[in-house]
Amino acid sequence: MFSRRHFLQKTALGSAGLLLAPLAGLQSCAPGTGRSHIRGSMHGANHATGHLLRDPARLPAPTRTEIVEVLIIGGGVAGLTARRELERQGLKPEQVLLVELDEQPGGNSRAGRNEVSAYPWGAHYLPVPDVRNHALLRFLQEAGVITGFDATSGLPIYNDYHLCHDPEERLFLHGHWQSGLVPDLGVPKEEKEQIARFFQLIEDLRQARGQDGRDAFRIPVQESSRDEQFRNLDVQTFAAWLDAHSFTSPHLRWYLDYSCRDDYGAPTAQISAWAGLHYFASRKGQAHNATASDVLTWPEGNGFLVEQLRRQASAPIRPNTVAYALHDTPTGLAVDCFDVITRQTTRVAARRVIMATPLFITERLVAGLPPAAQRLLPCHRAPWAVVNLTVAGLPQGPGQPLSWDNVLYGTESVGYVSARHQSLSQSAAGPQVITYYLPLPAAAPAARRQAYQTSYDEWVRRTLAELETAHPGLTPLVQRADVWVWGHGMVAPVPGFVWGPARAAAARPWQNKLFFAHTDLSGISIFEEGFYQGLRAAQQLLAAEPD
Amino acid sequence: MDRVPVRRKRQLAPGPATAPTDYRSALLLGSVFVIATCGLIYELIAGTLASYLLGDSVMQFSTIIGAYLFSMGIGSWLSRYLGGSLLRWFIRLEILVGLVGGFSAPLLFVLFEYVVSFRMILYALVGLTGVLVGLEIPLLMRILENRFEFKDLVSRVFTFDYIGALLASLVFPLVLVPQLGLIRTSLLCGALNVVVAGVALYRFPETRPFRRSLTGALVASLLALGVGFGYAERIQTYTEGMAFQDQVIYSKSTTYQRLVLTKNQRELRLFLNGNLQFSSLDEYRYHEALVHPAMQALPRARQVLVLGGGDGLAVRELLKYPQLQRIRLVDLDAGMTQLFQRNEMLLVLNHRALLHPKVQVINGDAYQWIRQDTSRYDCIVVDFPDPGNYSIGKLYSAAFYRALEQRLAPGGWVVVQSTSPYVARRSFWCVAHTLQAAGFTTLPYHCYVPSFGEWGFVLAGRNAHWRPDAGPLPAGLRYVTPATIRDMRFFPPDMSEVPTDINQLNNQALVRYFEDDWGPYVH
Repeated sequence: MFSRRHFLQKTALGSAGLLLAPLAGLQSCAPGTGRSHIRGSMHGANHATGHLLRDPARLPAPTRTEIVEVLIIGGGVAGLTARRELERQGLKPEQVLLVELDEQPGGNSRAGRNEVSAYPWGAHYLPVPDVRNHALLRFLQEAGVITGFDATSGLPIYNDYHLCHDPEERLFLHGHWQSGLVPDLGVPKEEKEQIARFFQLIEDLRQARGQDGRDAFRIPVQESSRDEQFRNLDVQTFAAWLDAHSFTSPHLRWYLDYSCRDDYGAPTAQISAWAGLHYFASRKGQAHNATASDVLTWPEGNGFLVEQLRRQASAPIRPNTVAYALHDTPTGLAVDCFDVITRQTTRVAARRVIMATPLFITERLVAGLPPAAQRLLPCHRAPWAVVNLTVAGLPQGPGQPLSWDNVLYGTESVGYVSARHQSLSQSAAGPQVITYYLPLPAAAPAARRQAYQTSYDEWVRRTLAELETAHPGLTPLVQRADVWVWGHGMVAPVPGFVWGPARAAAARPWQNKLFFAHTDLSGISIFEEGFYQGLRAAQQLLAAEPD
Repeated sequence: MDRVPVRRKRQLAPGPATAPTDYRSALLLGSVFVIATCGLIYELIAGTLASYLLGDSVMQFSTIIGAYLFSMGIGSWLSRYLGGSLLRWFIRLEILVGLVGGFSAPLLFVLFEYVVSFRMILYALVGLTGVLVGLEIPLLMRILENRFEFKDLVSRVFTFDYIGALLASLVFPLVLVPQLGLIRTSLLCGALNVVVAGVALYRFPETRPFRRSLTGALVASLLALGVGFGYAERIQTYTEGMAFQDQVIYSKSTTYQRLVLTKNQRELRLFLNGNLQFSSLDEYRYHEALVHPAMQALPRARQVLVLGGGDGLAVRELLKYPQLQRIRLVDLDAGMTQLFQRNEMLLVLNHRALLHPKVQVINGDAYQWIRQDTSRYDCIVVDFPDPGNYSIGKLYSAAFYRALEQRLAPGGWVVVQSTSPYVARRSFWCVAHTLQAAGFTTLPYHCYVPSFGEWGFVLAGRNAHWRPDAGPLPAGLRYVTPATIRDMRFFPPDMSEVPTDINQLNNQALVRYFEDDWGPYVH
């Protein structure tokens, strides 16, 4: 007896990818050839628009004036959440205006689309949330991500098509794709013991509470315990903490570095121990049909959530608009907004303003206001490159088949995700899109400039050089490569940032006119924090009596 | 045509812009193109054949490419020892490549059954082809060396070489294999190599001294390859017949799978990718068991949906209920449904079921299709392949069954083929538990099909009442009776219910059970 109807899709005759593999074998004999067939271009050119802010004196003076109740500057997750919340709490759509510098909202959760698939340009998943995060659950329910609540347990039931399908993750280690990202295959026994000890410690920290009764680690960060014993973890680097606790296993340290680079854009040597442990110990999601380790994902990544946030409110969103100066007025604030398309400036007179911009932008915008309005919170920001590859096939090595998240051990990238993963189709033929993420190590302006100046061809070369190690013969199968360079990327929680006094001060409103909402104010750049910041700023604004 | 003095090496070659690409050079560069195309195709054939016959495609492709490229290196190195009339060597070489490469596929197919160490033969043949192919380009470059400046020579020869490689890699999977099959593709490329030899022999005046002696070899080779081409079908049938024990009467590679139909005096068998799909001898047991327990409970059924089952055998059983108004069948593979709509022997077997006016055949992805469909069905027959990979595993998930439930009319029944409760006990009960988790009441049952073994099904309904003797069964059934139905519902201890996880899209529990359950049988 053999397995009846065992549908073998790996038959060589059916697999164009394997048939083409030998061609690459020949091409590799002639290095330098073989990428000229790849089409595509550089994206993320909005730094040119953004850099208008460096010299606002060169922008034209306002030619018209507009009056609104609330102006939101910045259309990322925080800005869109604030817009949604203001309307939910009773503001009329015409009382609110959101201006966005880029051609469409979304910030780090932007998505793209080509003839093959939608795909993410940045953030691409949301872990199953903590059930105590009621506002987030309400949003997800309105978005159709939560389909109901179980009658007996009361736990949310998630839409099966939005929960990441199995197989979720795999790691290319020692020439083989293993299941899961924690190195296991061929890892020595002593190292495995350290890995087990680390995860036991994380489990304890997940359960731990401070003397103030709060969870030691929680999302949003603001809900975490202020207990000294946990806050003290914020004064040292994660790497130093790991050394002090004898976590020396190279495989474990690689994995932890990978995790920190994946979420914070910086390795364990740069971020604080509190942030490093928060990454692991804060995930406490519960669901009727999923566990804390499950995530929600879509072909377009968190672009899906951005679109839902946008659709759940109707106040106007004005893209391609650079707010470049704020002026204090007796009735509120006047904000000069430059339209990149018409090249004209409008002065928006708003009673109140929510700054949903990263702090380095906020600093420039509030420069003309009194000292009390200034934000003194230097941010360490990590640049990123994201490459979307449209491929005719993906030659596989041995081990677990293509998964949602695919990571290559010991490489400088944090791997790639497959936009086709959530597809319900049986047909594996035809091109697909994979999204490759490369956090760039240094955050100095020089490194950022270097990232901007790196040519398209060089990004593609680097990407394929790495992917070819796990997918030999990939290059001739690449049809398109599109590259996005995030020069300012996202905030990295370096020691002292999350629990230092400056962060709390930076989030305080100014004169009940100016409110602040951005993940920079959390120190951790994830969807939940952006959502929390937008919600908090909108609620502060509504609660405050204008002077 | 100019006659080229034999050594003109020291002469300054003309610049690239003015280099005359004369007739002779054009002919030789054209040969590079043909040679490169054929050379890569031989490699692809060996790789495909090895993975087809030996399995583990990644391993086979990888080692074949390695061995082939290494042998090409040996060939290139050996080329230094060839002297005298290079053109004569080149013509001999092309005839030899044509014979060795051309006959590689038929030879490997035939030897697979007879030779104990097939791998040795395979790699020897790959090595020999590689050495010969490796000789070609260095030899041609030496023939052409005095026609071009070195940089032009290298640039031109390798340009044609790589274009040929690209062409080969595209036409092989897209045109040659689907249209001609492996054996004919191999023989055709052999013939092309011999034709290159022939063109060189008759177009270059300096070949006159040895024309006669080589003409004989050339004609004989072409003849041999031509005869092989004519008999390719028989070779294929003969060899597949050996692999499948019985005579292969039909074989076809579709976009999704390889269909092979075999026949002996007693039975007709269908294999999908080498796995038995049914035997005409006992398939009635499987299909009667699949259809009638559900249908006898639905005397007023009008609309039926069949998912999978492109062989039309379940539809044949359904057509025994005259009250049905429409049977809709959704199967991924048009190659499969067309075969069962056209092949005479199969039409006899499925009683022309897929050609019946009440039957609508749709080729599409079942999951996407049911999510877009708006009809309701009294009975849904789910006859998918076993959950052997993550992609098919999605068709056994709770989410899929919930989507199915949306398409089920009130009081209707779904029946799901659920693999073997004996071999894959956890897999079988996982299907049942997943249907329960999706809100169905389930009635698991099983039957014995000699060519498969013990096979399981799950009936699932929502607030529906089921009895084993609800309505009359069609006349003439050979297996299912009210008593059989009662028996099928009894599970002896070695197949009785075991606790399992629910198969969800985010855990694919079933694929993991299935791998573990069937693993010891397959490997």
